[in-house]
Amino acid sequence: MKAHWLSATVAAALLAFGLTACGTGNGSSSSGNLQIWEGYTGAEAKAFAHLLSEWNTAHPTEKVTSLYVDNDDSLPKLLTAVKGGSQPDIAYVYGSWAPNVAQIPQVVNLTKVVQRPGVNWDDFWVGERDVATVKGRVIGIPALVDNLAVVYNKTLFAQAGLQPPGPGWTWDQFAADARALTIPAKKQFGTAYVTPGSEDTVWHWEALLWEAGGQILNASNTKAAFDSPAGLQSLNTLRTMAVTDKSMYLDPTDSEYANLFNSGKIGMLVTGPWDLSGFPNVKYGVQIMPSFPGTSGGHQTISGPDNWVIFNNGSQRVAAAEKFLLWMTATPQATYFSLATGDLPIRKSVEDSAGFLTKMDQALPGVDTFVTNLGNVKQARPQIPTYPKVSTILGQMIVSVLLGKSQPAAALASAAQQVNAALASGSGS
Amino acid sequence: MRPREQAAAWAFLTPGVVIILLFGVAPVVWSAVLSLQRNNLFSPNTPFVGLANYRQMIHDPVIAQAIGHTLVYTALFVPGTMIVGLFLAVAMNRKIRFISVYRTAAYATMAISTISEALVFIWLFDPSYGIVNYLFHVAGIPQQQFLSSPSEALYVIVIMTIWGWTGFAVVVYLAALQGIPQVLTEAAAIDGASRWTVFRRITLPLLSPASLFLMVWLTINALQLFDEVYFSTAGGPLNSTTVLVYYLYEQAFGGANFNFGYASAIAYFLFLIIMVVTVIQFRVGRRLVHYRS
Repeated sequence: MKAHWLSATVAAALLAFGLTACGTGNGSSSSGNLQIWEGYTGAEAKAFAHLLSEWNTAHPTEKVTSLYVDNDDSLPKLLTAVKGGSQPDIAYVYGSWAPNVAQIPQVVNLTKVVQRPGVNWDDFWVGERDVATVKGRVIGIPALVDNLAVVYNKTLFAQAGLQPPGPGWTWDQFAADARALTIPAKKQFGTAYVTPGSEDTVWHWEALLWEAGGQILNASNTKAAFDSPAGLQSLNTLRTMAVTDKSMYLDPTDSEYANLFNSGKIGMLVTGPWDLSGFPNVKYGVQIMPSFPGTSGGHQTISGPDNWVIFNNGSQRVAAAEKFLLWMTATPQATYFSLATGDLPIRKSVEDSAGFLTKMDQALPGVDTFVTNLGNVKQARPQIPTYPKVSTILGQMIVSVLLGKSQPAAALASAAQQVNAALASGSGS
Repeated sequence: MRPREQAAAWAFLTPGVVIILLFGVAPVVWSAVLSLQRNNLFSPNTPFVGLANYRQMIHDPVIAQAIGHTLVYTALFVPGTMIVGLFLAVAMNRKIRFISVYRTAAYATMAISTISEALVFIWLFDPSYGIVNYLFHVAGIPQQQFLSSPSEALYVIVIMTIWGWTGFAVVVYLAALQGIPQVLTEAAAIDGASRWTVFRRITLPLLSPASLFLMVWLTINALQLFDEVYFSTAGGPLNSTTVLVYYLYEQAFGGANFNFGYASAIAYFLFLIIMVVTVIQFRVGRRLVHYRS
């Protein structure tokens, strides 16, 4: 019997220990280091760690500790943390989540912070500022910026007897080049399009819509505006390549296209700077987006910026977090980060500094075009919580046209009807 | 039991009970609550909407498609896996050289991660560069779009998952085959039964407990299909491979939808389907299964 009592006591003690251990997890106490959640890997992780140690050496009383959280998973984890009252002080959050994140009560309003002297808010690109702002309230500081441009295979262009594209090119030229670059016997395609129907499918088309002079929604974000001549022109352009010419490789996996381009099977890609390091086997060039002549859209592109968001763990910690973020995103630190990682500069002043573009291009050929292309980002996607629903509808519309399952005009009309219904019913959530 | 022993028993049980309550029962209860709310987990404003989430399912065209795809998938995957598994198990239930190599190879499909499996099949069935279309070309069969075609993608996933689960079916059938006393088959053979008759009249009925187990187990897994869809087609093209669990995930986490209320309602609906199907299978199965003591 004694033995039973002994084991019972041990078990009870273990249990009690386990429960208290759970209770004293990484809760947000008012003292201790600031905690930042980020999802950096590789060169980005190294550069970030370098900046962090620089800050911690200079600010021994306001040290910052970072915790790796995969960016794709960060939102569910943040929600869990907020529900449990153990939110980090700062987190890296995708820009597309901004309207949803803005609904979390613990998210700190930074509208006044970014107007402080020395911050120079307008030095951030307009695409970044738009995505950091939800209904007039600034909820984040830009952490990353990118954009879409055309990456083309120089060797395939030469083999087809084509001139490399110039900065003034049009979508008609793009389609003609794609046709000339397509060789069915060699399984070579002129271009590719990602067709999982996700936001990646959608934002590629949104760039075309804007270039054709169109808009996604009306100015007040209450009605669809894409069922327009511009919408038709942009979808027809894609349809010509995918269905009529069969010069477009459709990639439902959203990842194969990069390997195929690197294997010399695809002539041109509309993609972002993050893909460049995956093309070591081909000689590539980069050109800005084509235009639709006769429209007001020009060669504009689309950007998908991400934000640093501050969560309220008491005024003292919020103040420290603001101070750290403003330092982290100031011109010297932003310059260091871009040069160390090849990421596009989050501030205009970084691009203007002497020798910056040359150094960037040496590290990652072609990235200079993406840097200057940031000036072609004129607008952001609608900053509304119902955008994910809109995106799902647009994704289905684009894929059904590219697969030849529906005609552009009918697809636009049906999608517009669905979007209007979603906007009408979803405005409350 | 004496009180002191009872106390000791509870002390030992408590950790397990706490874990089950925390990670098993609590989520079940909480998702039931969620399914009655409009809740995106962001906003503190979570209105109680009664059965609105369940009513929404009736008017959602995608969920009707998802139910259809789930049923078609299950109807093909479960018998497909069982037939292929049985065939291989019978072939391997012999004393031949290198038999353990073959058995290991058959089971290896279970050990391969779903991601690798999906990646391999994506490339096998790639419309432009895949080996399957190449073989079709050699054989003079027209080229297919496979995972890129709304009318073919689901069937590619059926093939992919049958391949992945065959090893499991083989192991179960192999164990059952080896439990069949040889005297029965030998006696039948002496009585003049052909090999096919022996298989149909003796082996197959004696395998029925294993078959019932496989049918129930594979059906439950088929109704919960997710990984293969997530990694290979993401529910597309045009929702043609959107099955219930994938749609539920899409509503909860995919593309920043965060309809946790609606997703929970779908989860409960799926639970209902699985329960009904399993009960039917056991009822019907009990009549068909030949147990021997």
